[in-house]
Amino acid sequence: MEKLKDALDFSDFSRAEQIGLMIFSVFLLLFPWLGAGSFVKAVMIQFLLFSLFGMGWNTIGGYGGQVELGKAQYVGIGAYTVALLMVWWNIPFWISMPIGVLIAVGYSFIIGYPLFRLKGHYFAIATICTSLVLQDIFTNWKLVGAAKGIELPIHEHPDFLYMQFKSDNYYYYFIMVLFYFALFYMNWFRKSKLGYQLRMIKDDEEAAESLGIDIRWCKIKAYSIASAFVAVGGGFMAVYNLYIDPASVMDLDLSIKIALMAMLGGAGSLWGPIIGAAFLVPLDRFLGSWLGGHKGLIGVDFMIYATLIMVVSAYQPRGIWGIIDQFRRKGR
Amino acid sequence: MAFLEVKDIIKDFGGLIANSNVSFKIEQGEIIGLIGPNGAGKTTLFNCIVGYYSPDSGKVMFRGSDITGLKPFQTNQAGIGRTFQIMKATTGMSVVENVMVGAFCRTDNRYQAREEALGILSFLGMEGMSEQHINELPIAMQRKVGMARALATKPELLMLDEVASGLNHTETEEMVALLKRLNVEKKITLFLIEHIMEMVMAVSQRVIVLDGGIKIAEGLPEDIVKNENVIKAYLGEKYAKSH
Repeated sequence: MEKLKDALDFSDFSRAEQIGLMIFSVFLLLFPWLGAGSFVKAVMIQFLLFSLFGMGWNTIGGYGGQVELGKAQYVGIGAYTVALLMVWWNIPFWISMPIGVLIAVGYSFIIGYPLFRLKGHYFAIATICTSLVLQDIFTNWKLVGAAKGIELPIHEHPDFLYMQFKSDNYYYYFIMVLFYFALFYMNWFRKSKLGYQLRMIKDDEEAAESLGIDIRWCKIKAYSIASAFVAVGGGFMAVYNLYIDPASVMDLDLSIKIALMAMLGGAGSLWGPIIGAAFLVPLDRFLGSWLGGHKGLIGVDFMIYATLIMVVSAYQPRGIWGIIDQFRRKGR
Repeated sequence: MAFLEVKDIIKDFGGLIANSNVSFKIEQGEIIGLIGPNGAGKTTLFNCIVGYYSPDSGKVMFRGSDITGLKPFQTNQAGIGRTFQIMKATTGMSVVENVMVGAFCRTDNRYQAREEALGILSFLGMEGMSEQHINELPIAMQRKVGMARALATKPELLMLDEVASGLNHTETEEMVALLKRLNVEKKITLFLIEHIMEMVMAVSQRVIVLDGGIKIAEGLPEDIVKNENVIKAYLGEKYAKSH
């Protein structure tokens, strides 16, 4: 009960933040009726999905301060579990998605145990490697569709059990509900014992150890929570896109995007990943479709993208939220 | 059975022997000072006891159980708290949050942890600083934060690594009074590394002296200051003879 209260309690935030969250929530709720086109709707769904990924990454990457660049493997596990179970045995989404999450969590413990012997850059590189290995396995494994990927069977009529709908609005509301679950969970998490311990580990590992914190176990726990979040998003990607392949759900590009969005927005703050996603998802989409289409301008979108990240991280390592916070402290 | 017993600790850093057959005992409720010139192996000895290093040979017994080679978080859970010579001036967490992390060692409840943290801060006379960050505080206060968060883990033995270095005269006196209060009111056994002689002599009931990794003397503070070996270690051969 106390946990639920903590999750729903935003009272330690400033008035401006509370009002901001309220306006944002009303906007999210009404968005499908604001007459946006399908492209804008798709961008909005992407935004919510990446916020979910980012919030998950924030547990280990933001609060725990471990630069984790292998989240795509868990997107893949979530997506492939949903897709394969549906193709092979016609198992509904609502059963296959939790199974995917369980597999992701189990896998994260196995991977996390040796991984957290490493620190700093070595850890970051190792996370990339584990993800690349899994991607290579799936790219060459005939049973799971290899590089061709898997198409999900399309149902003739909309089917809630299999999460297949004609209108994007349903997908929109579903990912919005997931988004709020993630937000409330993170609101609880940042006040929990594990949240505090992770922040201490980020600040000063030596001191954390002297305060009775089993550093490695804490990191593994946070890593599995992050993996569970990301696997839920992966499951959603499978039913939303109706087609998955290793390049779309397991690529390094995806891992980096997840981490970058959270870092750009502000790692280790509740709003950071949401701000980062709100900024980068539209930028990525619009720049991609606007510049990527011109001959001779291919790659320019990546340059703009990269410059932006360099500018923000040079100016304030705590990201966009850090910049806002800095101004507020000055104003006080 | 001694409260803390260190038996023949040897720690060798590839040819540099930092601790060589160091043995001593500490009884519950004592205040013990550990002194010695720079590089005598004091901090290494601390690290061997709490588990940052595992000694090459020897044994550490705490309240009758063997804690040699346990990890720092395990020795902390067993009841040994420690502070560091240098506090990292971090900005990630406020003072009270730092202390709460210590309190989370013994409780899962956030409200209880916060209450305990505030209680410890007021015991140390730091109520006004609970919302500040470590980097905003002067050195003396940073050290106290280190003490506060170690105290929050409810240690029975508190090991303090140079809590008084860099403090001025009044601050040192306050620290001495505080340590005595900890010992009497909270019933915590104290084991401290110290450079400042007036501090060691004022607070310790017994003093252990290390030089070049070897225990060269142990005894009452007033005897230690007269000990030939100790004078030699601190001031050199010449002074010991003329004394």
